[in-house]
Amino acid sequence: MSAEQTRTALMRAEPLPDSATRELHLMMRQRESLRAPFRTAWDDLATRWNEADLDAWSAAVLELVNINAGPGCLIAFWDISRSEPGNDIAALLAAAGAAAEICREAGARAAALSLKSLPIARNAFASAPELARWWRALTQFAHDAPDAVEPVAQRMSTILAPGSVEAFENFIASGLKLAGTDRRVRRNYFTLQHELAQRLISRDFGGVDFAETERHLKVFVTALWGRVPLFRALPCGDTAVARRSALAGPLIRLPEVYRGFEGDEAWRLYRAAAAHAQAHLVLGSGRFPVGKLKPLQIVLVGLIEDARIEMLAMRQLPGLRRLWAPFHTAKPAGIATAQALLARLARALFDDGYPDDHGFIEKGRALFAAAQTRLDDPAIAREIGMLLGNDLGQMRLQFNAKSHVVEPVYRDDNLGLWDFDEAPQANADILEMFVDAARLERQENDGAPPDDQQPSGSDAGKARPVAPDSRGTALATYPEWDRRHGIERPEWTTVRDVAALRGDPRRIVEALDRADALRGRVAQLVRGLRIGRSIRLSRQPAGHDLDLDAVIDAGLALRTGQEPDPRVFRSSTSKHRDLAALLLIDTSQSTSDRLRSGATVLDVERIAVAVLAEAMQKLGDPFGLLAFASDGRDDVKLTSVKAFNEPYGTEAMARLDGLASGYSTRLGTVLRHAGAVIGDARSFRKLVLVLTDGEPSDVDVGDPADLIEDARRAAMGLHARGIDAFGVVLGSPGMTAAARIFGRGNTMLVHRVEDLPARLSELYFRLARR
Amino acid sequence: MVLDAYRIAAEPFYQPQGDEIEIFTAAYTERLPVMLKGPTGCGKTRFVEHMAWRLGRPLITVAAHEDMTAADLAGRYLLEPQGTVWHDGPLTQAVRHGAICYLDEIVEARQDTTVVIHPLTDARRILPLEKHNEIVPAHPDFQLTISYNPGYQSAVKDLKESTKQRFLAIDFTYPPPQIESAIVVRESGADSALADVLVAIGQRSRNLQGHGLDEGASTRMLIHAGRLVRGGVPLGAAVQSSIVLPITDNPDVRAALRAAIEACMP
Repeated sequence: MSAEQTRTALMRAEPLPDSATRELHLMMRQRESLRAPFRTAWDDLATRWNEADLDAWSAAVLELVNINAGPGCLIAFWDISRSEPGNDIAALLAAAGAAAEICREAGARAAALSLKSLPIARNAFASAPELARWWRALTQFAHDAPDAVEPVAQRMSTILAPGSVEAFENFIASGLKLAGTDRRVRRNYFTLQHELAQRLISRDFGGVDFAETERHLKVFVTALWGRVPLFRALPCGDTAVARRSALAGPLIRLPEVYRGFEGDEAWRLYRAAAAHAQAHLVLGSGRFPVGKLKPLQIVLVGLIEDARIEMLAMRQLPGLRRLWAPFHTAKPAGIATAQALLARLARALFDDGYPDDHGFIEKGRALFAAAQTRLDDPAIAREIGMLLGNDLGQMRLQFNAKSHVVEPVYRDDNLGLWDFDEAPQANADILEMFVDAARLERQENDGAPPDDQQPSGSDAGKARPVAPDSRGTALATYPEWDRRHGIERPEWTTVRDVAALRGDPRRIVEALDRADALRGRVAQLVRGLRIGRSIRLSRQPAGHDLDLDAVIDAGLALRTGQEPDPRVFRSSTSKHRDLAALLLIDTSQSTSDRLRSGATVLDVERIAVAVLAEAMQKLGDPFGLLAFASDGRDDVKLTSVKAFNEPYGTEAMARLDGLASGYSTRLGTVLRHAGAVIGDARSFRKLVLVLTDGEPSDVDVGDPADLIEDARRAAMGLHARGIDAFGVVLGSPGMTAAARIFGRGNTMLVHRVEDLPARLSELYFRLARR
Repeated sequence: MVLDAYRIAAEPFYQPQGDEIEIFTAAYTERLPVMLKGPTGCGKTRFVEHMAWRLGRPLITVAAHEDMTAADLAGRYLLEPQGTVWHDGPLTQAVRHGAICYLDEIVEARQDTTVVIHPLTDARRILPLEKHNEIVPAHPDFQLTISYNPGYQSAVKDLKESTKQRFLAIDFTYPPPQIESAIVVRESGADSALADVLVAIGQRSRNLQGHGLDEGASTRMLIHAGRLVRGGVPLGAAVQSSIVLPITDNPDVRAALRAAIEACMP
């Protein structure tokens, strides 16, 4: 910058009397040591900003001066002002405000260091909101632990290595929680000498998370006990230590990540946690009533129950000891806090070889050993837990139920063991223990609409949001056969497109998870079909093998003086599949009937369709899913769940889940429309599968035979166009009608509706092979 | 005797799990056809051998396959210098000379092939040989036994209803742990502690049936593992090569199965 420019810049500042700019300039002239750096900064900024901005900036600097932030802090602020990448004055003002705050709490040096670490934070975080969050965390930190700001600010580049502001917040929170009021530990932690601190700032390298391990764990745990576990991710929030897994009914909730565990160790931990949790579900027996137990007793009963089920599990599967043992790291030394004693007891009950002569531990061991003969009895957990709880209580050790974490890390939080309904006077501590669990519970459900908004069950028909006057777009009109007069009435029925309701695709995914065995079998069929079947051809003019029968015939012909057939070879060819399928799903009112299992017919249809759709998607067969119902001839409702040209994914699953029962079944019209839809498909074979639970009927038709006859003609019409129509009938009442409509050979009866998912896919594969 | 080669000289070891020996004996007395159902490697073939030995009948075994034609079962004309010669197929041999004919994995054969056995499995007990222009009445000692693995591709390859309904059925499953352990001890020479571990491992893999594996480890696999261990291979390696590697190619399932097996080992 030339001297001329400098002068204009300074002059520009001059004409504003009483402004912050003027005040700052006056002040800086008197500060020998600051004059030069200020001038450099100002000159730079003055070329970039307008006067109002400069004034605001000056005010920010003045604030720092006024709280006696010291030259180091001011220079640091000027430096970051000059290097501010986006000329974002607001961010700078925020930084000055935060620095002032830190200066007030933790001193000028800390504020200066914080400002100096800003460029590191700028590099680490992409967005301004994250940066603002970082400042907030830092000022709060200055408030909570003023003495620790300096060491943290000095090590900012190391601490921000994980690269997310959440990680930073977690790092701070963990440290504060770990140290409590112990300044030494705090210093140790925030100077990164503590092991936990080191683990936290390095955790994002090679992290193993739940999503990565889920499939593995599922197979592993299924193999162990032959029961398919239901895993869910447990959000970690910003808790200090590795979150424990949790049981919620049949669900096993595993932390999204186990903080501080990486690579193989994390895999082992996930396996250990999954095996432990499933052991609870398989070997435990229901929940314990809380009654009037104190928090410490609750924790101890849980601990004994853990030991009990692990002992039972290891009787069956001795190798589990190797899986769990490395996580028992408690040592018979150090201060005997309640937390430490609990961890030591856990180890002592698990590991007979572990030496610990603390009276409490010895007593626990003795009690547990005495109960070895009746380990199958869950009551021992309560008995021993209560005795030990009293003992520990009498030792007058401080026990904070709120901050208590179950050790070792692979064990679950044991809250799933308790039945709190029976604990009206459970004390506040216990309740607080569960607040966290409940909060997480809610979080997970936030994404999904509450169940009561979902149309399901018998009132679903009413919930269908189709007003009478907006019955959906009319797609087409079709003729209908008048049985009595023996004529076809043209343009008799109108097909309307009813927009699909969006349900929750996760429910479909969950239902599929539960139908794992069937899904596996179908997947196997898919594999078999996908490769393309190879077909042996006999009596070929060329091939890789002699066709023995043809050779003999040829030999005979030669000897009897006839001309032999030269086609004496066998060859093989592979048959390619070229098949399009349209699946029609009956959603008439009768599909809301409940089965003995409690599910509705429509529920079963849904899962059947989901399994089949998944298979067809994998096979690459083009297919469409269409739900149908009717309300008189003028309103045959079709809901497109999946069109031919769209991929089958979350969107289609949501629509599938959103299907609701209601109205009647006018099958003939639906078949005609299906013919029009699939007629456009280019595949060689076209298949229309109708999933229905009874015979056709509609409100404006008195004799169902009319509609049966019409549907029969519609099915014949499809056949004439080379489209195979196939009826899948749920329950025997509809069988006679369906056999009339589709022909006996083209009808499959599913006696038990629950069998539908398996039978539907089998049928498809059988048809697809033809 | 024509079928001497098919006679079983020494007693094949078979550990009964229920009343299958009595049922089969009764069925044979009445010459009723029998269908053995069950997963692979659980002792179906061994059972038939044992029964053939016990009943003192020759046993002709035919493993069915996709390309098997009716002629492969019944017989065909072959060319010889003098002219064509009729050659009995294995089924015809058994029918003519009185043997137990065992058609292994019958669903593998094409459905048009399996109808050949229909006239043999009802009151007629005859085998019409269309090409040879002959009707072979079944020898009084002839009996037909088939095996059938329902879990295996059953949706696309299933027996015709008309075939199924001709047979008595004996259901085979994996034996209960104690019995299976005894079988492993007997067949592999492993000690009973090792056999118990192997059986526990087998159960883990069977838990995965339908959840990653099409079928769990068979008793046969456990016996193989036991033999490897007896031959000096460490247990882990023996299980790996006799069970984990053959049973699945999916790396995830392998890893999980290995971890589950680890949990069984002492």
